[in-house]
Amino acid sequence: MTALIDATGLEKIFRSRGRDVAAVADVSLSVGAGEALGIVGESGCGKTTTARMLLRLEDPTAGRIIFDGTDITTLRGAALLKFRAQAQLVFQNPFDALNPRFTIRRALAEPLNNFGVPVSEHAERIDAVLHRVRLTPPAAWLDRRPHELSGGQLQRVVLARALIPGPKLIVADEPVSMLDVSVRAGILNLLREARDALGLAAVYISHDLALIRYVCERTMVMYLGRVVEEGPTKELIAKPAHPYTRALVAAVPVPHVTQDRAQLPIRGSLSDAASVGGCAFRGRCPHAMKICTDQAPPLRSITPTRQVACHLEGAML
Amino acid sequence: MSMLSVRDLVVTYATRAGPVRAVDGVDLDIPAGSITGLVGESGCGKSTLGRALMGVLPEAGKIAGGQIVFEGADLVALSPTARRAIAWRRLSFIPQTAMNALDPVQRLRAQMLEVLVERGGLGKAEALARASELFHLVGLDPIRLSDYPHQFSGGMRQRASIALALALEPALVIADEPVTALDVIVQRQVLDVMRNLQARLGLAMILVTHDIAVVAYACDRVAVMYAGRIVEAGPVADVLENPLHPYTMGLTHAFPDLYGDDMTLVPIDGTPPSLLHPPAGCRFAARCPFVQPRCADEPPVMTGDHQAACWRVDEAAELRALAATPATWLPK
Ligand SMILES: Nc1ncnc2c1ncn2[C@@H]1O[C@H](COP(=O)(O)OP(=O)(O)OP(=O)(O)O)[C@@H](O)[C@H]1O
Ligand SMILES: Nc1ncnc2c1ncn2[C@@H]1O[C@H](COP(=O)(O)OP(=O)(O)OP(=O)(O)O)[C@@H](O)[C@H]1O
Ligand code: SF4
Ligand code: SF4
Ligand SMILES: [Mg+2]
Ligand SMILES: [Mg+2]
Repeated sequence: MTALIDATGLEKIFRSRGRDVAAVADVSLSVGAGEALGIVGESGCGKTTTARMLLRLEDPTAGRIIFDGTDITTLRGAALLKFRAQAQLVFQNPFDALNPRFTIRRALAEPLNNFGVPVSEHAERIDAVLHRVRLTPPAAWLDRRPHELSGGQLQRVVLARALIPGPKLIVADEPVSMLDVSVRAGILNLLREARDALGLAAVYISHDLALIRYVCERTMVMYLGRVVEEGPTKELIAKPAHPYTRALVAAVPVPHVTQDRAQLPIRGSLSDAASVGGCAFRGRCPHAMKICTDQAPPLRSITPTRQVACHLEGAML
Repeated sequence: MSMLSVRDLVVTYATRAGPVRAVDGVDLDIPAGSITGLVGESGCGKSTLGRALMGVLPEAGKIAGGQIVFEGADLVALSPTARRAIAWRRLSFIPQTAMNALDPVQRLRAQMLEVLVERGGLGKAEALARASELFHLVGLDPIRLSDYPHQFSGGMRQRASIALALALEPALVIADEPVTALDVIVQRQVLDVMRNLQARLGLAMILVTHDIAVVAYACDRVAVMYAGRIVEAGPVADVLENPLHPYTMGLTHAFPDLYGDDMTLVPIDGTPPSLLHPPAGCRFAARCPFVQPRCADEPPVMTGDHQAACWRVDEAAELRALAATPATWLPK
């Protein structure tokens, strides 16, 4: 299968207070049509920055992105606009994502106008997309404004706005973290359905592995701007190969009384991270060895579907 | 014996549209030395209840009825001065935005001393020693007492807030969403700090959250709140493994789980009712797949240790079986 989006060696360096911050370093990923990739990791590990580069909302300082056979890394003007219609972002906070003065009709017509869809097609497309996100009958919703909707209903409108230009890729950055548990499930189900029905490629970002498991077959784990592990989500949860993934999995509480409460296999916090040279995780890793200080472990395949960046190469499994 | 017994508590907020009954007839018992989780969806009144217990309601809010019996005294009936004396010494509240509630222009040491010296009446040297001890207790290096809050990560700020809340050795700590904004590893570390402290100091804790996995991990008991009322309460194992109330049943199926083969997530259709004009009968009736005519007329009440406010509580086992079928929760 050829991937819909294929990114190689993405890097983003921010200059902040005269200092360079490498938010993302050497990230490569690819996602095919109908496939969903999850990105997980601690706060500040570079998930959002990676997503923004994939959508060209942020220019990478290095690396290349091929989308549907075209190099989009440096697109400008009309070509960039065409790409934007095909690669859409689902915002995290539905309460901020919509203009409070606009009706739902107008909120949905806006992207169509932006991407030059003829007005004669608007009504039909708006009707179809409202059905897709289950705001039916559409007539009952079109003239409402955001304050007349619940958080879950708003997030459906936000999803409809992302779907209406007919994208091939959607990127959802913490799409349900602001929503109540009772309505999250509905949005996650809609995302899954939309992906299956429309054959979309999807990238989901979250620090909640339990949630990622429901929507993504494959998951990439980031630590301090780098990919430390990648593989099928279920395998990664059942047998994490990187010590950081192991801690991440162990830290997720489960909704059952019987669960593992043993001390997490990780030390300190992000700020204790070792910096120059070697493995970036070594300051917190319970398995750190001499080689970990001397050499940075490259991302290597340990099975045909799994990759890990650790000198142990999953040997502690 | 309960350390805290809340009876028929009503808290209202004055708004232009009329009084919002944010807490509307809450009964709750907190045994000494236990951690009780308070769960429920956004806007159901969790923070309002926590603030009412602590006596720190915002200006628009007031206790409109009921009792809060803490260590034998009804806090609602006490004079404000007498009440504050108890609240300051025996109770402690970690607000929902605790992470950002630290004073940004004061070093942590000064903030700790303020509480220990001014409220606790300790001498300066004694207070300094105690501050170091408290930092140590929550897993922070006492050297960091000379830092400002912005020099801390989110998780460290949360630990510092907990240290502040424990400064005067309260008997009951009310923590409002103490881990919600944190990522999983830090969340786990903060929960472990709270669990260890609770066990070592024998204090009681109310942990407000909307995450039932957090409750399952950290709590002994749980109270489920819905639209201003407690609808189910009991030991965590009973409530989560054998829920009696259809709302609790719904929550357990809506929740993603890290393990297990069941990959269907089932939403609870609809939204909670307005607290401006709450319905007369069961507040969950409009969303309940098991609703019957009488549910809409009369509010169900709770009795027993593991209890639920539902007319059909005797049929809970059959309802649980139905609730496990996704089709049950389809919109009507
Ligand atoms: N515009 C910017 N200028 C400077 N630094 C930035 C900028 N955007 C992000 N960063 C830094 O880059 C790193 C990665 O940030 P990013 O937002 O991608 O993390 P994240 O994984 O999405 O975190 P979270 O889970 O908290 O959303 C962080 O150290 C952040 O402070
Ligand atoms: N100052 C206020 N004035 C008027 N109404 C208020 C005020 N504070 C809260 N409310 C209302 O009271 C109800 C309960 O709010 P509360 O903050 O206690 O809920 P919560 O369960 O803590 O929600 P969340 O999970 O979002 O924190 C809500 O309907 C809210 O809109
Ligand atoms: S390379 Fe070494 S320090 Fe890094 S994760 Fe592997 S064992 Fe730990
Ligand atoms: S009282 Fe009736 S409506 Fe309320 S939860 Fe029980 S069955 Fe459902
Ligand atoms: Mg982010
Ligand atoms: Mg609250």
